[in-house]
Amino acid sequence: MSQTVIPIHQPSADHNPDTDIACRTVEPQEKNLLRRVIDRVADHCRARSLFILHYCTGCGAIELPPTITSRFDSERLGIQPMVTPRQADILLITGYLSVKTLKRVILTYEQMQGPKYVIGMGSCSINGGMYWHSYATVKRLQEYMPVDMYIAGCMPRPEAIQQGFLQLMAKIDRGEGTAWKDYYHNYNTYLGHQQALFGPDWHTPTDVIAEARHYDLLSDNTLGEHTDLLAKFASEYVTHPIPSAKAIPRSTS
Amino acid sequence: MPQSIVTDDLDAVLHELPTLSVEQTAPRRLKVCIKAETLPALLELLKGSSGYLHLSAISCVDWPDTEEFELVYHLWSYEVKQLVSAHIWIPKQPGRFVSVYDIHAPAAFFERDIHEMFGVHFEGSPNLEPFILTEWYGPPPMLKSFNSRAYVEETFQWQQYSPEWLKELEAKGGGIVE
Repeated sequence: MSQTVIPIHQPSADHNPDTDIACRTVEPQEKNLLRRVIDRVADHCRARSLFILHYCTGCGAIELPPTITSRFDSERLGIQPMVTPRQADILLITGYLSVKTLKRVILTYEQMQGPKYVIGMGSCSINGGMYWHSYATVKRLQEYMPVDMYIAGCMPRPEAIQQGFLQLMAKIDRGEGTAWKDYYHNYNTYLGHQQALFGPDWHTPTDVIAEARHYDLLSDNTLGEHTDLLAKFASEYVTHPIPSAKAIPRSTS
Repeated sequence: MPQSIVTDDLDAVLHELPTLSVEQTAPRRLKVCIKAETLPALLELLKGSSGYLHLSAISCVDWPDTEEFELVYHLWSYEVKQLVSAHIWIPKQPGRFVSVYDIHAPAAFFERDIHEMFGVHFEGSPNLEPFILTEWYGPPPMLKSFNSRAYVEETFQWQQYSPEWLKELEAKGGGIVE
């Protein structure tokens, strides 16, 4: 797995982090190889046990009962509905997203634990669909959260949804289902798009920057002009003081 | 034309007020056009003497040519099972009218809705906070002068599309079903 665990105790000054418990120096390549093998095994297992968050927007919800229940039975793929975002892996956006709903979807998405996958289902989440000229409907879902896959159609039939699930599983199995990391890498951009709709004081109770630091996913675009606004409006919601984009040393990973 | 549905009670009410026109539009529907200032009196009389207890909706129409809002109050009687639609016209500027919340309590929601969608201000309405459009900062969006398409072009970006993707899908055995 690519997440590094934060050490409980602070390492002393003479501690070399590249040694193992027997003080043997571990080759960086060896460490990476082991990590990669574990990643592959974990991805392989993960692809076979996915939980969809039981949350539906728009009219696509009507295609999910046959997909999940006995007719098409997605449980044979290991995909089941789950009631809370904290235990779910897949966020299925099943139709048009109004700006108001998008706010709730972002709150939900941020509560889900990584690795998490977003599937945009139906034309409306792709380009607004039949609501393309509506002032209240969001046009491109991927501006606000990283999307792993779109399933086109109005609405896609359960067969198409199953096909999408199979492709997503194959993608995760290959270790390519990493779109969720992009939310941390480019949090500034995503937050900027959100602020364009919800106003500059928009914030969520989730401390995304601290999570990015925890997962070691801080990059050049995690912090920026948009996250600077968080310090102004969201300071009581975050556990860590929000560093300014200029003040923080950026990791090169 | 079916038999007139204007009962004696209703007739008495309509004679008390300077009514512009009364027209039966369907077997159980009556369209009453009145002057705006007599509307509260009409609702009061209808409620008191003819049993039109249920204000089922207030609708609003924006007429850009005459610079007027048309407000339609739909009243249903459970006794005679008829609907009276009272039409009034108010000028768009300043776009103010009195609330009928004190006569029909459900009017509060309808007035709040019309206030956010059309910008009509109802004096005496208990709450005119944003109701559905809590994430909206623009002008009232149901006005004819609001150009939804221009707003969308300005606010949102369009999805990129490449015809190559369809070829990819077709190579996998999918594609558009003729």
